[in-house]
Amino acid sequence: MTTPPPVKRQRREEYRRELAAQQASGHGDAEVKLPQKKFFRQRAHANPFSDHQLEYPLSPAHMDWSSHYPAFVDADPSKTNLAGARKLTKDVEVVDIGCGFGGLLIGLAPLLPETLMVGKYYSVQDLGSHETYTYIIPGMEIRISVLEYVTSRIQALRAQQHRLKAAAASQNPEAATAEVNKAAEETNGGAQQAEDAGTMTSIIPGNYENVAGIRSNTMKFLTNFFGHHQLSKIFICFPDPHFKARKHKARIVSESLNAEYAYVLRPGGLLYTITDVEEYHYWVLRHFQYGTDEDGEAERKVGGIKDLWERVSDEELEADPCVQVMKFETEESKKVTRNGGNKYVAVFRRKPDPAWV
Amino acid sequence: MASFQHPFQCLEYVNRQANGQQDVLVASAGRKLYTYSAATGQRLDVWPQDVDSSESAATASTEGQTIPEESKNATEEQSEQKKAPKKSAKTKAPVWTNIPLMVVSRDSKHVAVVTSEDKCIRVFSLSEEGKLQQLSSRTMPKRPSSLTLTPDGQTLLCGDKFGDAYSLPLIPEGYVKRAEPKPRNVGIPAATPLTVHTKRNLETLEQQKRTAPNKPAPEEKEALNFEHQAILGHVSVLLDLISASVPGDSPDSPTRNYVLTADRDEHIRVSRGVPQVHVIEQYCLGHTSFVSKLCIPSWAPKVLVSGGGDGYLIVWNWRAGQIIQKISLNKAVQAQDVIVRGIWEVSLQQTAGPVNAILVALEGCPELLSFTIEGDNTLKPQGTIQLSGNVLDVTGITSKGTISVSVDTVREASSTEMWKSSPSASQTLIESFQVSSSPGTLTWSPADDSMTTEINAAGTTDLPASLDGKDKKTFDDCLYTLGNLRKMKFDD
Repeated sequence: MTTPPPVKRQRREEYRRELAAQQASGHGDAEVKLPQKKFFRQRAHANPFSDHQLEYPLSPAHMDWSSHYPAFVDADPSKTNLAGARKLTKDVEVVDIGCGFGGLLIGLAPLLPETLMVGKYYSVQDLGSHETYTYIIPGMEIRISVLEYVTSRIQALRAQQHRLKAAAASQNPEAATAEVNKAAEETNGGAQQAEDAGTMTSIIPGNYENVAGIRSNTMKFLTNFFGHHQLSKIFICFPDPHFKARKHKARIVSESLNAEYAYVLRPGGLLYTITDVEEYHYWVLRHFQYGTDEDGEAERKVGGIKDLWERVSDEELEADPCVQVMKFETEESKKVTRNGGNKYVAVFRRKPDPAWV
Repeated sequence: MASFQHPFQCLEYVNRQANGQQDVLVASAGRKLYTYSAATGQRLDVWPQDVDSSESAATASTEGQTIPEESKNATEEQSEQKKAPKKSAKTKAPVWTNIPLMVVSRDSKHVAVVTSEDKCIRVFSLSEEGKLQQLSSRTMPKRPSSLTLTPDGQTLLCGDKFGDAYSLPLIPEGYVKRAEPKPRNVGIPAATPLTVHTKRNLETLEQQKRTAPNKPAPEEKEALNFEHQAILGHVSVLLDLISASVPGDSPDSPTRNYVLTADRDEHIRVSRGVPQVHVIEQYCLGHTSFVSKLCIPSWAPKVLVSGGGDGYLIVWNWRAGQIIQKISLNKAVQAQDVIVRGIWEVSLQQTAGPVNAILVALEGCPELLSFTIEGDNTLKPQGTIQLSGNVLDVTGITSKGTISVSVDTVREASSTEMWKSSPSASQTLIESFQVSSSPGTLTWSPADDSMTTEINAAGTTDLPASLDGKDKKTFDDCLYTLGNLRKMKFDD
């Protein structure tokens, strides 16, 4: 005789089953609701050293992005990658490492127009009549339950957008365009609030087709997903602080991992970090060999990883909308705001490779 | 009752003709190092001397001559303190049971080895008479899994089981004084009520704050007391680390140095050489299981041959990360679960010029595969050499145009755990083969030389045949480590 699983888990499983069934059936006529976080809770830590049952591509040229971004699949079916998967019309250039419940993805989705390459930023409105270019942004997450939440959240958002578009088109094409523009203005404010309430009422540029959650242990397998100099932005938001000293080796920022981030990030690209733990902030600076180490240790090394990174100035960060999203729209940042915590931001620019010695 | 002999775990030929000295063979078996004359097979030295009877040999000889008196005492004291509780009063033998890694310096004057349990890199000078003298011993933070030298021969590179790699000078210029432990926020938790919120976490934090001032400062992670640099890290087990040097294509373009690392998560990383190892140039991704061995032939530096647990050798244009060729090993050897134990490059002197070959051994397998590299940089299978026991290590005796293979004397051929029922009267520790080549083909035949006969006759140290299963397994695990690297399947 086996004991039945606890009630909480039963409810959770039931909820997820229903949700999956609903999403598979395309929701019928029912209103598309966003998933509820409480059914997807998972312990905050995952051991990055253990052999999780992970699926990861053999190499970046084997990665099947098409199932995650169906809207961006190249129309030509003969264009396939080494694993035989359909190619996308553009490469992935921005990645959120440890995307958690997906707040950053949702916040960034409408925000990254084409001209946002390096250093200078435009919002969607600035583009005027230019066609909007949307960055494809994967969020990498190791916790399976959390990832399921992100996936169903994005699916629900896409479905909602789909309906809104259909409704707008049937009513009045001009109104629909106006709606898009309005949505662009509301990106940071209204849309987000509406989303928190469970439904989206406006059309968002990109329709969330450009974001997706992917299960991965990036500490091990980042370079299986992304090739040399492929990325222009990496976000590491509120990483697991691993408070205990003997757990520090599990931190996602370290000198040796920074070499890998430098490999996938192109010269001029940016690596964003934010944390609410002051000690971690100094850890980050130390591991980029930057700044304010209280022991005065930071300047001890010549060369080293500092060859590859320079810290971005505060003035420049002020003007960067990504920093705003990072500071105020990720799930964790909202929690920190609620609890009156501090937020420490450090952004590093990838320098060109140094000359060979 | 006869005993087994400890097989040779590492075997290195040292060519000293440039120095005008006799060639030697350096080998490790059990916890000892041996040197032999490559001409006659006469044993020249054993290190450490009489370890089994004397208590002083290990500890006394671990401290090098180069240490100034003052710090010598300090180090001894510390090592004494550290070892004391671990070592039971009965066993005074060295703390290590085997010597799994060995490299010979390019000038043939030094030998560096790793002793396993004490995680120690020991560097020896090799005298004209083939005597070993320990110059330094440096204890690494984690157990080393690979050891090599940079192309200039001055710097040791050491990868460990935690995925980190360090560079350290071959000959340390004296000991760096251990930095005074810093009063780095001792006992003050990094968490604050602003960063932890749940009731339980807050309670723990309160408790930490209360007890912190009274608690003795946590032992600072012991700083290494010698010159070293952390050069790279994988979040995985580092299984091999090699350095490579590629001459420029034109006389103007300079030679470039690289460090290549292989890990348990299928990666081969190509980084720039010291001191720019943090600049990653390429990943060679193509293996579907751990990568246990990398080999870049000195005579074909643009080619990398790699192997591991997936049953394939992959030949790479490694600077471009491109696969040139995949060779299935399951076809070459009738065995399941094939793991590459070693890949060696040899360049053997023959009258008509050097014969170059790639030799490949599989874990727990009494066959040695040989290949040549063709003009298009593909591998061409050549003859397979059959041995009396599992292949452990291979070295090319370049001057004689032969290879010597160390074989497992203890276990049945093709098994990594089944011991022979009883030791045979004459135990074959090494076998030697000579090569003959006609265009496009290599043929290997047993070499009948006195070196081999003499070394086999002399034996190493006794390994009792009457051990119980657990002790046997301990010995098995020293020699055959690769089978444990397979990933476990479990639910998340």
